[in-house]
Amino acid sequence: MGEDDKKKGGFFQAVKEFVYGVAAHDSARFALKSRASMEHLFILITMGDMLGVPILPPYYSLRLLPYVVPQISTWKRRMLREKDLTDALA
Amino acid sequence: MNSVFVLIIGFIVSFIGYKFYAKRIDTNIIKADAKRATPAKMYMDGVEFMPTSKNILFGYQFKSIAGAAPIIGPIIAIQWGWLPALAWILMGAFFIGWVQDYSSSMMAMRNEGASFGGLSHKLISPRARIILLSFIYFYLLLIAGAFGNVVVSTAIGLKAAPMAWLFLTIAGVFAGQMIYRWKKDIILTTVVTVVIALVGIWVGTQLPSDKVVGADLANSRWVWAIAAFVFCYFAAVLPIWRFALPINYVASYIVFLGLFFGVIGIFILHPNFNLPAYTGFNIRIGPIWPIMFVTIACGAISGWHSIVSSSGTARQLENELDARPVGAGVMFVEMMLALFALIIAGTILPAEYAAAIQKGPGVIFSAGVSRFLGALGLPAELGRAYGSVMMIVLAVTIMQLVIRFMRVATSELLSDVSPIFRNAHVGTFIASVLGITLVLTGWWQYLWVLFGGANQLMASLALMLVSAWLMSEGRSAAWAFYPMIFMFITTIAALIYTSYSLLSKVLSGAVKGEALVGNTLMGLVGFFLVLAALVLATEGFKAFRRYRTIRAEAAAAKA
Repeated sequence: MGEDDKKKGGFFQAVKEFVYGVAAHDSARFALKSRASMEHLFILITMGDMLGVPILPPYYSLRLLPYVVPQISTWKRRMLREKDLTDALA
Repeated sequence: MNSVFVLIIGFIVSFIGYKFYAKRIDTNIIKADAKRATPAKMYMDGVEFMPTSKNILFGYQFKSIAGAAPIIGPIIAIQWGWLPALAWILMGAFFIGWVQDYSSSMMAMRNEGASFGGLSHKLISPRARIILLSFIYFYLLLIAGAFGNVVVSTAIGLKAAPMAWLFLTIAGVFAGQMIYRWKKDIILTTVVTVVIALVGIWVGTQLPSDKVVGADLANSRWVWAIAAFVFCYFAAVLPIWRFALPINYVASYIVFLGLFFGVIGIFILHPNFNLPAYTGFNIRIGPIWPIMFVTIACGAISGWHSIVSSSGTARQLENELDARPVGAGVMFVEMMLALFALIIAGTILPAEYAAAIQKGPGVIFSAGVSRFLGALGLPAELGRAYGSVMMIVLAVTIMQLVIRFMRVATSELLSDVSPIFRNAHVGTFIASVLGITLVLTGWWQYLWVLFGGANQLMASLALMLVSAWLMSEGRSAAWAFYPMIFMFITTIAALIYTSYSLLSKVLSGAVKGEALVGNTLMGLVGFFLVLAALVLATEGFKAFRRYRTIRAEAAAAKA
């Protein structure tokens, strides 16, 4: 929900957002998490050498590189960030 | 006392707590700053770190923390009388509850969105992290056991509940299919599936479980315990969009509608409390201190909230000023939910309560929901079925999350021992077997006290982390430190008392058969939690001393 959307809202917008938060926000987050995990796994397989994983970059990594570039900083942060069991809960 | 008066007191306490106490802490001590970049903005990845509107987060936080616990706790604790229960709910939420929820999210936000494992490593010690995480595993096991018991007792006590639960499951799976596979409109999906769930409640009244499967099976604890864990098994091993999430989605409407109309019903009927204000210091479950303070966990203070606040909400807050409405505001709303449950239990007749509490808290809750929805014209039988499915839904949504999480935890903790533990089915099976054992062999009120104790201990550990963080930053820590001391002493005392009661029965030979297994398992888990908490406390106090020394040295150098 961006700044502009927020400004539009009055009481009903707030109620709508609240109901979304109760009913669907969790589902949206899980769906995004699932997709991100798949994408990040794929980047790890093809570009793992960037994190020091001993993978010899294949030819296809070079071909894919331009598409991966926008995601690299996010991917590195997500892969290297310390995680624990509580991350799976919320 | 009149129930409306209780609600008004609740509103006043919430208003003062939120508007003055929380605001003072937020402005003067934490110094929340709208211009400071939050982790959601700094590390935005569109997944976990994502700036989100405070209204959405308000709903998300409420949904994540308001399970069955704020309802069941007051229903059980009213056995000491409604006055101590009311006082603890109000004072617990005012002095401790919101402090923990708000400060956990603020601490995580100011530490780059780190979760509790990382924070305990950084702020206390490396050993603290390992102990905290193993503590969490057993804490979750107790949640599965306690909530499993609620599902079983509700399914046995109210024969309309199983059919309504089945229809809700079908509606949920159908919702997943409509949204994710058939790409149907969300409003259409919602209307269709919520109607299916509501029809299921009516069908439940027409086809009670004893008519469908026979009285023996309908009254069997084994049958419903296995049904509950099979349900959780599917939730843990199937893709989350296929089972767990859409069921929770449909269920949230059922719960929300029930609560909304139930509160309206209270205002229409405005009944007086019929149960005594105070019954005595020592009752069958144990003495009022410390046991009542762990029996009512959510609604006053709950460790679960700190996990949600730190690992979930803190990574989505787009503005530091939103932490107060989301962290503290939602806690006060949950306090009102606990008061709603207290009114439900307190306004029924003593004889009715005494008979119903033997069957479990779900029966009392359903009777109350039926009564207050009845004020709006819903037939009593339908109202009871509605209340029973609300209770099951509230318990089972947390249970399925817990079992799924225990599957992951088993894989994390034991995959080095043998690769078989990496298998999703093995991890889920282990979690389910442990959960079923607790449900079938433990007396539910002791199990609830142990769960409450673990939950409150988690809260005191969260407050310990917050105190260490505040001390490390040189901020005033008294508002988190003293609640932590109170919670720590109370919960350790409660766990020792309960574990000792359980194990002394085992050692004296007073229990046999199923109860022997249940008492031994619960007693040992209780003692493990105490041990883990004491080690953590030692580490925590070493950290406090370290921060004090650093501050004293810095002050001396400055002088």
